[in-house]
Amino acid sequence: MLLARLSWAYLKRHKLRWALTVAGVALGVAVLVAMRLANRAVLASFHRTVDGIAGRTELQVHAGDLGFPEEVLERVQAVPQVRAAAPVIEAALDTGLPGQGYLLVIGVDMTGDRSLRDYDLESGEEAIIEDPLVFLAQPDSIMVTREFAQRNGLGIGSRIPLGTAQGIRWFTVRGIMRSGGLSQAFGGNLAVMDIYALQYVLGRGRRFDRIDVALQEGVSLAEGQRALREALGPGFEVEPPAARGRHFEAILRSFSLTLNITSLFAMLVGVFIIYNSFAIAVTQRRTEIGILRALGATRGRIRALFLGEAAVAGSLGSVAGAMAGWLMARWIAGYVARLLQEVYGVVQNVQTAPAEPGLLAASAGLGIVVSLIAAWIPAANAARVDPVRALQKGKYQVLSAGETRARWWLSAGAAAAAVIFLLLGRSLVLFYTGYILAILAALLMTPTLALWLARALRPLLAWLRPVEGALAADSLIQAPRRTSATVAALMLSLAMVIGFGGVARSIYNSLIEWVNTTLNPDLFVTPNAEIANRTYVMPAEVGSEIERIPGVRQVQLVRSARIPYRGTPVLLVAAEAGKLAQTVRRRPLEGDLDDMYRRTAAGQATIVSESFARLRGLRLGDVVELPAPKGLLRLPIAGITRDYSDQQGTLLIDRSLYRQWWADDSVNVIRVYLAPGASAAEVKRQILERCARGRRLFVLGNQEVRRYIFRLADQWFSMTYNQIAVAILVAVLGIVNTLTVSITDRRRELGILQAVGGLKQQVRHTIWMEAVAIGVIGLVLGLGLGAISLYYSLEMTRRDLAGLSLDYVFPLPLATWLVPVILGAAFAASLWPAETAVRGSLVEALEYE
Amino acid sequence: MIELRRVWKVYSNGRREVVALRDVSFRIGRDETVAIVGPSGSGKSTLLNLIGGLDRPSQGEIVIEGRSLGELDDDELTRLRREKIGFVFQFFHLLPTLTCVENVALPLHLAGWDRRQAQQRARELLGLVGLSGRLDHLPDELSGGERQRVAIARALAAHPPILLADEPTGNLDSRTGGEILALLHELHERLGTTLLIVTHDAQVAASCARTLTLRDGQIVADSAAGAP
Repeated sequence: MLLARLSWAYLKRHKLRWALTVAGVALGVAVLVAMRLANRAVLASFHRTVDGIAGRTELQVHAGDLGFPEEVLERVQAVPQVRAAAPVIEAALDTGLPGQGYLLVIGVDMTGDRSLRDYDLESGEEAIIEDPLVFLAQPDSIMVTREFAQRNGLGIGSRIPLGTAQGIRWFTVRGIMRSGGLSQAFGGNLAVMDIYALQYVLGRGRRFDRIDVALQEGVSLAEGQRALREALGPGFEVEPPAARGRHFEAILRSFSLTLNITSLFAMLVGVFIIYNSFAIAVTQRRTEIGILRALGATRGRIRALFLGEAAVAGSLGSVAGAMAGWLMARWIAGYVARLLQEVYGVVQNVQTAPAEPGLLAASAGLGIVVSLIAAWIPAANAARVDPVRALQKGKYQVLSAGETRARWWLSAGAAAAAVIFLLLGRSLVLFYTGYILAILAALLMTPTLALWLARALRPLLAWLRPVEGALAADSLIQAPRRTSATVAALMLSLAMVIGFGGVARSIYNSLIEWVNTTLNPDLFVTPNAEIANRTYVMPAEVGSEIERIPGVRQVQLVRSARIPYRGTPVLLVAAEAGKLAQTVRRRPLEGDLDDMYRRTAAGQATIVSESFARLRGLRLGDVVELPAPKGLLRLPIAGITRDYSDQQGTLLIDRSLYRQWWADDSVNVIRVYLAPGASAAEVKRQILERCARGRRLFVLGNQEVRRYIFRLADQWFSMTYNQIAVAILVAVLGIVNTLTVSITDRRRELGILQAVGGLKQQVRHTIWMEAVAIGVIGLVLGLGLGAISLYYSLEMTRRDLAGLSLDYVFPLPLATWLVPVILGAAFAASLWPAETAVRGSLVEALEYE
Repeated sequence: MIELRRVWKVYSNGRREVVALRDVSFRIGRDETVAIVGPSGSGKSTLLNLIGGLDRPSQGEIVIEGRSLGELDDDELTRLRREKIGFVFQFFHLLPTLTCVENVALPLHLAGWDRRQAQQRARELLGLVGLSGRLDHLPDELSGGERQRVAIARALAAHPPILLADEPTGNLDSRTGGEILALLHELHERLGTTLLIVTHDAQVAASCARTLTLRDGQIVADSAAGAP
């Protein structure tokens, strides 16, 4: 208890330091909680939607986004193990209602679906719902959830607009579903329509998206799967509803990994801030420790004293961090959901991130554990303090030669191991271990490198200001322990910024080349407002109509959709390969340009993206087996190209092959090339006039599409800006922490400065210069480690995330921009400490020891 | 040159008040050597700090070369201290990371002197105090007496008319202390500075022409003729 009073007395004297320590914990916990909650919110939203819609469904038959012909239903129903089979179409449609965004509309066969799903109607024209045939007779009928109805002031008979393949159409609410079950899906933005009406609305022709199946009593899932697969053949997936979650997780994976890495870095930075605070506290309290030891306190007691303080700081920081993280989670979840929609066309209605007590408690616990880990070494050092030496006057700041040597050896060992693991090759475990070892090597070297840089800066600082500059540099040189943890935290943050920023720059450069060579039509005609969205399709005849317009040189029909390939969704692109060969002359990474197009156009091969090939370990010539409704389509790889259409990979086949194997003539994009001298505006007008009547159609110019693609890239890479914000916060927190200690340590020195004639402004100058010098050192080391981190980030992208080989391009513009940002943050961080340095009694300062 | 008029200094920590100086008045002329003596806690150092502008009185007025310190803001007080007053401390208060030359040149750099001129002046002063051979040494590499010589040289950097020394020999052995005392008086003679020395050492006091005796914050004796 008495020792606790000592801690309390120290805390009261150093409130700001404690606040910064708690803030360090809170930062790490907040980012971790926010990222985890956001990730879970997005996943949970998806699972809720899937589970809510699934109802009593035990298995689902699907073939990816492409769907399959209606006849497949009979084949499913004929399987003896199947008790009930209901076709489903599912699409997120733009409501046109203010603030409502998308409405997930499920098309079901009202005659058979109620054995699988319970609509639990609250109100409705009972006569109509009681008799599905009456509902079916009204093709504009729609059922909505109570939540959606209440939000939009809808009642039975209300009309709502929806975007359809024929343009905006009005639908009549003829049923309102109670809360719970089905109506929980998509955050309540759910509606049910007749499946055949929805087919028409979406322009799907005679196709279903999937068939939901309930099995006979006593039939196991495995048995049911086997029987259905036998009956249907290789072109179909037969899975429990929960399997869709795995596919979604695959799409979300690269986001999740980025979020996890960001939260890990934030936690690591928090560790350094805590370590810094406690290391300084131990140094400052050496005399106190010496007295306690001299009076009989054991080493264990001393260690427990500091670990107890760390636990308290950890608890406070964890609680604050958990709360802050929960508040941030909603924003991040919304941001990720928007990205998924725009990049992948996956629409989610993410609900408020729930305050999961388990996760919050675990994160809080983690915050305490991290605090204890961070404070462990300082606490152990405190326990080792020699009471005799501690009670002598004198500083204990200089790094001992022995300690420096040990660090050098450890660092060299870690660096060597990192290089070996990198060279050893393919294993992801070795690769990531090497990455961690490389960072560890840099961290071990930080105190020595910071000292060298401080010494190198001294002449420059002294040249700027002979007294203030020299003293600022001397402060860093004399007290490396005080500075090195802050420098290390800043170094790590900046390295992360450079790593991500560099990958972004590399991808951007490659994107520019891809867009220039591949997305080169003058116009794009699509029924979807966003080009990544594939909800609506249109008949191929639209292409024929466009071809007849004067000024149109060539029209290329494209159908793209995600299909399952070995358990993950990949993008299948069916295009007129012969025409593409004339207009897209991008040299492949592997294969011959003319040969790959010739064979693909003949339906004899496929061209795949680099990410598709690398993520699956495939090479030129390997055979790809594509599940199609007509069977298993086997095609050798004739070319491997760099393509950014989908992160999981893209396969290009000829449209004729697609029509043959998928029995689908629809398209979702028409690429239009104009004749020389033709006016794009005029051709666009003609297309809309001739083809858009009674049809949803958008005509996008080439520049429009380019801007859209780069805007998506900017959004994706805007994560870099979040990391920059973390780096700035780290700089400010760390530097304020370091300076408050520096000012305390240098109190007498600053008093002498004033006593011999130094103005207060001159005292401020020395503090400002010290802060900026820390910023410079952090920047130099951060950019250096960033250059290494960038290499690892690119390798991570190639080996694990996206299978893309990107050029190493150090992001010089970003690095240049970071200089004034970080130095500005360092200066800003020094303002308040500089004021405290000039306050207080000069006489007390001179007497201070 | 130095005049104190009914000066009080009271310290308060919120619960208690301590009166360090009570109603102190005296005048010191140009070129005088004055020892301020008294037992521990009598207010000697407080008095010196007030004269040196390191602290401000709770009541009363201090006038240095015709300027009332109470009318000056912090920066003006600092400039006055820089130009008019040299301070020598018991514990030397040299900056440990600066060389002897840099320590001595410190006030000149702060005053904005040209770097070369400041260095030149510092070298001259170090020569004056007998440390020409120690220009680039750090304070840790010097003996106690040498450090105090550097501190004296620093105090004289701006050629101040007033030199204040707070127990200048208090941290030195008797032989070295005697050397320092002799140096102070020699510099007083050569440069014409007014010298005030706070001391509890009778020998130091005896070396000065005038002695002011403090007890419990009050002047109880002044050896100068005509003192109040």
